[in-house]
Amino acid sequence: MLLINNLSFSRNDNIIFQNLNLSLSNRSIAQIRGKNGSGKTTFLNVILNFLESKTGEIFWEGKNIKKNIFNFYNKTTFIMDHNTCTRKMTVLDNINFWSRLSSSKLTKDEIVLLLETFNIQKYQNTKTMYLSSGEIRKLELLRLILEQKKLWILDEPYNHLDDLSIEILNQTFIDHINKDGVILFTSHLKPSINNLEVVDL
Amino acid sequence: MKLIQKIFFFFNREAKLFYSNIGDLFSNILFFFLSIFIFVFALGADEQLLRNVGMGIIWSLLLLSSTLSLRKFYEDDFNNSVIKIIHMGGMSYELIVFLKILSHFFFVQIPFLASIPIACVFFNLPINEVYNLILTFIIGSFILSCLGSISASMNLLNKTNFSIGSLIVLLFFIPVIIFSIGTNNSESDFNSLISLLLGIALIFLGISPWSSAAFIKLALRNK
Amino acid sequence: MFNFLINPYKFNKFVDIIFKPLVILTLLVLTAGLFLVYFSPLDYQQGLTVKIMYIHVPSAWLALLTYAIMTIYSIIGLAFKIPFSFIINKAIAPIGAVFTILCLISGSMWGKPMWGTWWVWDARLTSVAILFIVYLLIIFLNQTFENREVREKTIAIFILIGSINLPIIKFSVDWWNTLHQTASISKLSAPSIDMSMLQPLLIMTIGFSMIGVIIAILRIKAEILLRKKFL
Repeated sequence: MLLINNLSFSRNDNIIFQNLNLSLSNRSIAQIRGKNGSGKTTFLNVILNFLESKTGEIFWEGKNIKKNIFNFYNKTTFIMDHNTCTRKMTVLDNINFWSRLSSSKLTKDEIVLLLETFNIQKYQNTKTMYLSSGEIRKLELLRLILEQKKLWILDEPYNHLDDLSIEILNQTFIDHINKDGVILFTSHLKPSINNLEVVDL
Repeated sequence: MKLIQKIFFFFNREAKLFYSNIGDLFSNILFFFLSIFIFVFALGADEQLLRNVGMGIIWSLLLLSSTLSLRKFYEDDFNNSVIKIIHMGGMSYELIVFLKILSHFFFVQIPFLASIPIACVFFNLPINEVYNLILTFIIGSFILSCLGSISASMNLLNKTNFSIGSLIVLLFFIPVIIFSIGTNNSESDFNSLISLLLGIALIFLGISPWSSAAFIKLALRNK
Repeated sequence: MFNFLINPYKFNKFVDIIFKPLVILTLLVLTAGLFLVYFSPLDYQQGLTVKIMYIHVPSAWLALLTYAIMTIYSIIGLAFKIPFSFIINKAIAPIGAVFTILCLISGSMWGKPMWGTWWVWDARLTSVAILFIVYLLIIFLNQTFENREVREKTIAIFILIGSINLPIIKFSVDWWNTLHQTASISKLSAPSIDMSMLQPLLIMTIGFSMIGVIIAILRIKAEILLRKKFL
C-alpha cells in the first residue's frame, strides 16, 4: 500500500540518506532502526511531506502523495517524537479536539473506556501540564485508536512508557495489523512482534 | 460540512486557550491604563490640553499594548507541532492562518473595545470622537491582527532579533494611524477615510494568509 | 554589454579595470568641487549658510537614487531569480542610510539659522525620516533570518513595499503646503537656480555619487567573496 521509491534527502549539502526503497503491503509492520542522528525522524517527516525530498517518489494506494496530500493525510495517523497535546488544556478537551479534527466516530463511553485501559481516567479534567511524561505519552498514543486511520506512522512510540504499557501498545499494533492496517515506526528497542520487517538506516 | 465542523472546533480550542491565559489579556489592558496615567502625569492635568491630545494618545497606546500580545501568535502551536496535526486534519496552512487571525481579532482585540470608553472618560473626549475612535479601532485592530500574523510567522524563522517583527508592524501602521486620527478633523471627509481604512484592511486580508503560510512552511522545513 | 550589472564574475573583471582610475578621478572631482564651492557666490538672503546646500542636496538625491536602485534590483532578483541582485541590495543599503542621515543632519543644520528650528514635522522631512527608518530596518533584517534564501526574498519584498515612500518624498513639497521649498531643478523647465551655483552643485553630486560607487564596489566585492561557494 505504501511504496517508497528511490528516496533521498540532503540538508545543506549533507546527504542524510539516499536511494531508500521500501514497500509495505496491507497487514505489515516495519521498524526503522539506526544510530542517533542517522535520520530516522527526518525520514518520517519526508514521507509525510513536511520536508522536501531531493529525489524519489512516495505512493499511497497507487497514487503519488504529493498530488493527493490531503487524501493521504486522511488515512494517516502521525505520532511525533515529542508530544503535541496542548499543555494548557485538560485531557478531555485535548481528546475532543483530536477526535473532531479527524471526524472520529468514537462515542464518549468508548473514550472513557480507552482512558481506563491506559489508567489515566482519573485525570480527565486535569490540565495536561500536571501529568507525568509517561502519562502524556500514553495520552498521545490514544490518538492511534481515536483517529481510526489505516496507516500509522510513529516516531519513538516506546519513549517514557512502562513495561505494561509497552505490552498494551504491542498488542494494539497486532490488532491493527489484523484489521488490514499498515504500521511504520522508529525505535531503538527490539519489540517482540511477529512478522516485523526491519529497515536499517 | 466536515470542514465547517473542524473550523468550529478550531475556534472552540482557541476560546479555551484564551480563557486559560486570560490573565495575559488583563495585564495588557492594565498596561494600557497605566501608560495613560503615566502620560497624564507627564503632561500635567490641563483639561483643554488633554482633550486636544486625547485621541492620539489613546490610539498609540492601544497600538503599543496590543502589540505586546503579538509575539505569541504562532509560537506555542509551532513549538509543540499542533500546527502539523491541524494541517493533517485537512486544513491548508492558509486557512489555519486566516482562522488564527480571526480568533486573535475576536479574542484579543475586541476585549480592548470595552476599555476604550473608560479611557475616553479620563480625557473628557466629546462623544463623537469616542464613536470615531471605536469605529477606527475595529478596522485598525483587524489590520493589526493581519500584520501581527505576518511578523509572528517571520519570527519563527528568526532566532536572533525578535523585536524586528514589532518594528515592522509599527512602521506599516503609520498610514492607519494617520487616517484614523484624520476622521476627527472637520476638514477631511469621514466616509472616504473609513473606506481607505477598509481598503487597507482588505489588502492585508489578501496578503497575510498567503505570506504567513509561506513563512510557516519554511519554518517547519527548517525546524 | 551591461552584463556586469547582473553577473558577479563579469562585475569583478570590469571593476578590477576601472577601480584605480575611478579613485583618482573621484579625488580630482571632489577637489574641483570643493574649490568651486569655495568660490561660489553667497546668497543675497541666506549668506554663507547657502553652502550647506552643496552637501544637503547631493546626499538627498543619492539617498533616493540608492533606494531606487535597490527597488530595481529587487524586481530583477524576484522576477528573474538572479542572486547577484540580492548581493547588491545587501551591499548598498548602508550607503543609502548614510546618505539619508547626512541629508537629515545637514538639513537640520541649515534649518536652524533659516527657519529657526532644528526640526519641523512637515511632509518632506517626515517622509525622509521614514526613509531612514526603512533603511535601518533593511540593515537589521539582513542580520535576522538564518535561511539565506528566505532572508533575501523577504528583504526584496520589504524594499518593494517601502518604495511607496519614494514618490511621497519626491512630490510631498508639491502636494502639501510645506516649509521646505519646492524643487529648483527639474527636467521639464529651466532650472530656477543660478548657473554659478548650479555648476558646483552638479560637480559635488557627481563627486558624491562616485564616492558611493567606490564604497559600493568594495562592499559588493567583499560580499561576493563571502558567498562564492553559493553562487
